[in-house]
Amino acid sequence: MAEAGVDSALTAYETMIDSVTDYEIIRLDPEGTILTWPSGAKQLTGYSAEETVGQPLSMLYPSDEVPAERLLGELRVAADKGRHKIESWQSRRDGARFWASAVLTPIHGHDRSISGYVLVARDVSEAREQELAMRSMEQMLDAITDYEVIRLDQQGVVRSWNPGARTLKQFTAEEVIGHHVSMFYTEEDRRSGLAEREMAAAARAGRYETEGWRVRKDGSRFWSSISLSPIRDDKGEVTGYVKVARDLTDRREQEQLVQRQRDEILELSTPVIQVWDKVLVLPIIGTLDSARAARLTESLLERIAVDQAEVVILDISGVPAIDTDVAQHLLKTVEAARLMGTTSILSGVRPETAQAIVHLGIELGRLRSRNSLQDALQLALRLVGGGSADERVNAHA
Amino acid sequence: MLEQVPLQRLGHTIIVTLQGDLDDATVERIERAVTDEVAKVRARGVLIDVSGLAVVDSFVARVIARLVGMVALLGAVSTIVGIQPAVAITLVELGVPMDHVHTALNAEQGMARLRRMWDDTTGYRR
Repeated sequence: MAEAGVDSALTAYETMIDSVTDYEIIRLDPEGTILTWPSGAKQLTGYSAEETVGQPLSMLYPSDEVPAERLLGELRVAADKGRHKIESWQSRRDGARFWASAVLTPIHGHDRSISGYVLVARDVSEAREQELAMRSMEQMLDAITDYEVIRLDQQGVVRSWNPGARTLKQFTAEEVIGHHVSMFYTEEDRRSGLAEREMAAAARAGRYETEGWRVRKDGSRFWSSISLSPIRDDKGEVTGYVKVARDLTDRREQEQLVQRQRDEILELSTPVIQVWDKVLVLPIIGTLDSARAARLTESLLERIAVDQAEVVILDISGVPAIDTDVAQHLLKTVEAARLMGTTSILSGVRPETAQAIVHLGIELGRLRSRNSLQDALQLALRLVGGGSADERVNAHA
Repeated sequence: MLEQVPLQRLGHTIIVTLQGDLDDATVERIERAVTDEVAKVRARGVLIDVSGLAVVDSFVARVIARLVGMVALLGAVSTIVGIQPAVAITLVELGVPMDHVHTALNAEQGMARLRRMWDDTTGYRR
């Protein structure tokens, strides 16, 4: 083989190396002195060939992280093992650092002795950041014990499991990873394909929140609040889902208790009193919201039907303020009572209430009103008396 | 035809009972029977009993309004009795106009009401 041939091959080789930009590929002598400085190395570190060729390799590494002695040690390891990987910080010319993944390979001469090294390094800062972020994310998920935070793949198969999920569902990671999420659903939800519908809804809307019964390992049910979000790749395709769930059984029971108590209070707060034969009084005390007004109308009409009451007195002296809504509720009640054949009398209208009603432009129509309950009762008795007087004649004329 | 429509006569009053599902054919039959009867016996009042209707929608409300109008043209007055609580709430919530309709709790009070209305229209009172 001719010397010229070797030279030209070498030149071609170095040209090739020089055209590699993302890697720092440098040749070192047996003592670790930098011999070549291709453009990739320049680009990565910012140093020029003049600044680096002839300098020790240690100039590329921050001395506080990677001291020169350690680098010499690394060279020896590479020599022994034939190939050695170093992951560490490297310095840039501007003083910044990047996380470099370098492979050190010894070059052997004809007599098997080490004639130098090749160092191939690249910037893996981003990958390292991602890995660290991923690891901290995992640690974070592991630290969450009150919430189930799990990952599902596109088909709904469980791919990750956290201690919160374990607390909630009693399953260990080994028992669930690789299984479809519908294993936590009730039989009927499983049959109806609820899990698939929830995932489809999450993919459509970007997030899906729901509450429902889920099943633990021991078969017991719990009321769960669930939030499902799709994971998308760079192209926007859904590649999986993150599911966050929490046990709401206690809260649900509390809510039901509160609701029951509220119902009882509503019942208590809408008493209908029969004060005379065919005369009912409905004292309204406190604020009327729509739920209470509906209940009030309902219980009043039921009583009208049962007692066949001809007159009802709606006493509003206990209502702190009359606004449009309250007035509408009252008028609806009066109208419904009228349809049943019952006359309503409003009582207990205070001066400020009278002003408010007129200022609000509320039309009370034919509704009779009396200032006091006593006056209202007098009117009611006259109305009832008038009716019964007529009834004495069996058929009209 | 008349047998199929539940009509009763009590003195000068005709009692009509509306019940079950009302379709167009039934409504027409009732209208014909009521108007024929009012004209035939020169009735003064018509009592329309709807206590057998669990549901009163705007269609039924229109039917009642039409019946009331026909009876008025024949010179008689009418009253609706037996509107159930749920029906009353529905009518009010739907906003079905019922202003022109006179109501009473039951047949007894309905009769009394018819009599008062008749007196009013004939100028016996006021």
